Amino acid sequence: MVRKLSGLQREVVHLYRSCIRMAHTKPIENRPHFIKYIHSEFGKYKDIPRKDFTTIEHLLRIGSKKLQEFSKNEVKDIR
Amino acid sequence: MFRQLLRTATPLAHRQAAIATKRTSIVPQSLMRYYSASGLTKDDVTTRIVDVIKAYDKSLAAKPISLESTYNKDLGLDSLDTVELIVAIEEEFEIEIPDKVADELKNVGETVDYIVSNPDAN
Amino acid sequence: MMYKSLVGLVTKRGLASGVEHTARMKSFKIYRWNPDTPSVKPVLQNYQVDLNDCGPMVLDALIKIKNEQDGTLTFRRSCREGICGSCAMNIGGSNTLACLCKIDQDNTKDLKIYPLPHMYVVKDLVPDLTNFYKQYKSIQPYLQRKSFPEDGKEVLQSIEDRKKLDGLYECILCACCSTSCPSYWWNQEEYLGPAVLMQAYRWLIDSRDQASHIRKEMLENSMSLYRCHTIMNCTKTCPKGLNPGKAIAEIKKSLAFE
Repeated sequence: MVRKLSGLQREVVHLYRSCIRMAHTKPIENRPHFIKYIHSEFGKYKDIPRKDFTTIEHLLRIGSKKLQEFSKNEVKDIR
Repeated sequence: MFRQLLRTATPLAHRQAAIATKRTSIVPQSLMRYYSASGLTKDDVTTRIVDVIKAYDKSLAAKPISLESTYNKDLGLDSLDTVELIVAIEEEFEIEIPDKVADELKNVGETVDYIVSNPDAN
Repeated sequence: MMYKSLVGLVTKRGLASGVEHTARMKSFKIYRWNPDTPSVKPVLQNYQVDLNDCGPMVLDALIKIKNEQDGTLTFRRSCREGICGSCAMNIGGSNTLACLCKIDQDNTKDLKIYPLPHMYVVKDLVPDLTNFYKQYKSIQPYLQRKSFPEDGKEVLQSIEDRKKLDGLYECILCACCSTSCPSYWWNQEEYLGPAVLMQAYRWLIDSRDQASHIRKEMLENSMSLYRCHTIMNCTKTCPKGLNPGKAIAEIKKSLAFE
């Protein structure tokens, strides 16, 4: 069985889910751009050790800020 | 573990395909084995979910997918892939699964059961 | 004669900055953290500055370091005269404005410079003040009235009423006081902190404002105002010499005698 996710990992998953959902609110032709951006942003930090809490917390904070920014209706596309 | 949690980008163009497979046909009531909260049959939900999975990840198209298939072990999806897949399934059934529930969906059967029990699913 | 002495003065000056003195090196230990490499822990980086070739204020040294030694050193600054509040940071253990803080001329001692404490860091000495500004916005820091004079001119105020705002309106919202307050450290999300509360008071006692009832109501809970335990770090640290602690006490008093 898979190891149960820690609270922090769960938060990462939740942020990721909100990001993917945000992408789905954008014009259909631009969605792949958003998805690609989300993948590359999360991918950048995939090697951060699970126990590096301060870094992960910081990234979560930055991530939710960016998400808030990109969730705005005026944002239609990303490159 | 974190490595497994996060991962590199995969193109997601097939998402549109998943949306395109949305069915409009309604199964005649006489064929339904039972009524569910959603008004959908378990079989119907299962086939639609399997279609979404196959559309989501082309490499799974040939794999046998059953109700017992777990996303992580059997289908080889990491936790973030699973999130994307669940969002695709949400779109298919026009619902939004709350974080708490979505976190616990580990295999196809659990997902089918949740959709069937959700009165808003269609 | 006149001309001669002038020439003498000029040469003397020329010498003064050139040959006459030796360098007086002082070390500045500055907090560094780069958001582009978030997993690299913050470090104190050492810079040597010749005090004989540097302005008197800490901000002068920071600008000198950035210009001559390390362009990547990041800090906020603007007016360099204590009116903008941009360069608030923790210098030698206390929160103050770098532009108003004289460099200790004893060059045997290091000077440690950190960003404002207990705030998220954007980079190096730059703190994230988003929450601080959000809190300021929440107290509705503007004049609220049901009606304004028909002639379209300003709302008048007596000299005595205007006097009540002295010591309050001078606040430049540098956040030195709020970030020196232990209560604010532990309850940043809910406790408004001294800087914002002093502005809340500034609008409460403005004779022209008519929203004092709502303003007081907003503070009537256990967190917004009453997390102040009169520690008075705020008043001690204020680089403008204001007294936020007293302003908070005045709010408490006015609520108690409602």
